[in-house]
Amino acid sequence: MRIACWLLIALLPAVAQELKLPPGLDKLADKATETVDVTMDQSLLQLASKFLSDKDPDEARAKKLVAGLKGVYVRSFQFEHPGEYDQSDLTMLRAQLKPPVWQRIVGVRSKKDGENAEVFLASDGNSVTGLAVICADPKELTIVHIIGQIKPEDLRDLGGNFGIPKFEIGGSHKSDSKEE
Amino acid sequence: MLRIALVMTAAAVAAMPVRAADREFKDVVETISEEFHTSPTHIPLFGLVNMVAFVARPAGTKHIDLAVFEHLDTGDRDGRDIAQAIQRAVGQAWKPFVRTISNHGGHLESVFVYVRPDGRDCKFLVATIEPDEATVVQLKLNPDALAKWLASPQLAAARKDWGEHGSRTRDDDDR
Repeated sequence: MRIACWLLIALLPAVAQELKLPPGLDKLADKATETVDVTMDQSLLQLASKFLSDKDPDEARAKKLVAGLKGVYVRSFQFEHPGEYDQSDLTMLRAQLKPPVWQRIVGVRSKKDGENAEVFLASDGNSVTGLAVICADPKELTIVHIIGQIKPEDLRDLGGNFGIPKFEIGGSHKSDSKEE
Repeated sequence: MLRIALVMTAAAVAAMPVRAADREFKDVVETISEEFHTSPTHIPLFGLVNMVAFVARPAGTKHIDLAVFEHLDTGDRDGRDIAQAIQRAVGQAWKPFVRTISNHGGHLESVFVYVRPDGRDCKFLVATIEPDEATVVQLKLNPDALAKWLASPQLAAARKDWGEHGSRTRDDDDR
């Protein structure tokens, strides 16, 4: 898990859900050696799905997933040295990922490597409306925000596409935190 | 006779610097020219590239527009603050897709990728700003090439490897 992930901006008018990137995070770009910002809104996703083949199993699976999505946003920072960003930089972001809209469903923390990953799920009570991932490694911070109908296990299929890092995440919807 | 006609056609195509370039491409070129007080370098026989691209579709590329700038007058600015100017230049028709900023040992490099559908194909506009040079590329890509971009957009932008994707294309089947 080299890449740390997190999430960007979400606009779900139905639930008035909007995640804002804290100003402190934008400033991280000044410290980072690599900053990557991938933006795929609904129109771009629709365009992408047109070009995915129904014959190739992987592409067909991704196409099916993409059909339910309204946006994929990835923001990633890589740093030369550990500790160039602070956990407080993420506080404002995490503050937005609270119930009743958001539920933290997975939290992994490695004391050995200092790697942390969290997965949050948004719902409107009836269906999933979004997913957010924050991966915070000592030298890398990545935020992924996916808007639309998606299950945590779908991350496995989306990982490696659209700028989304590869994940190995179980399908449990219960809050699940563990330390290594 | 045929040979003469071919040579004359090739010469005519080669003489066209940025034929059929979109307005947005020209606007971005103009923006960079103004912002960094420079003008694009003349690339001899660049028209031939498009003639080849039109026929051979290398790496799924059907058309290329290219502008290269050297000796940028950056003053006290860097590539970061050019983003808004480029966004204004490309307008609403182009979607911001990928933006990368690399800063290794003070060597700052920014890459901005915009995308726009174009019938069954897709157009990419890629602007790369480095301390001393800048490049603007507009590509018309077929679905296979687009799929490669979508699979790993940040990698493609970081490597600027729009010309290194596989050359076998779904478009070949379409033709």
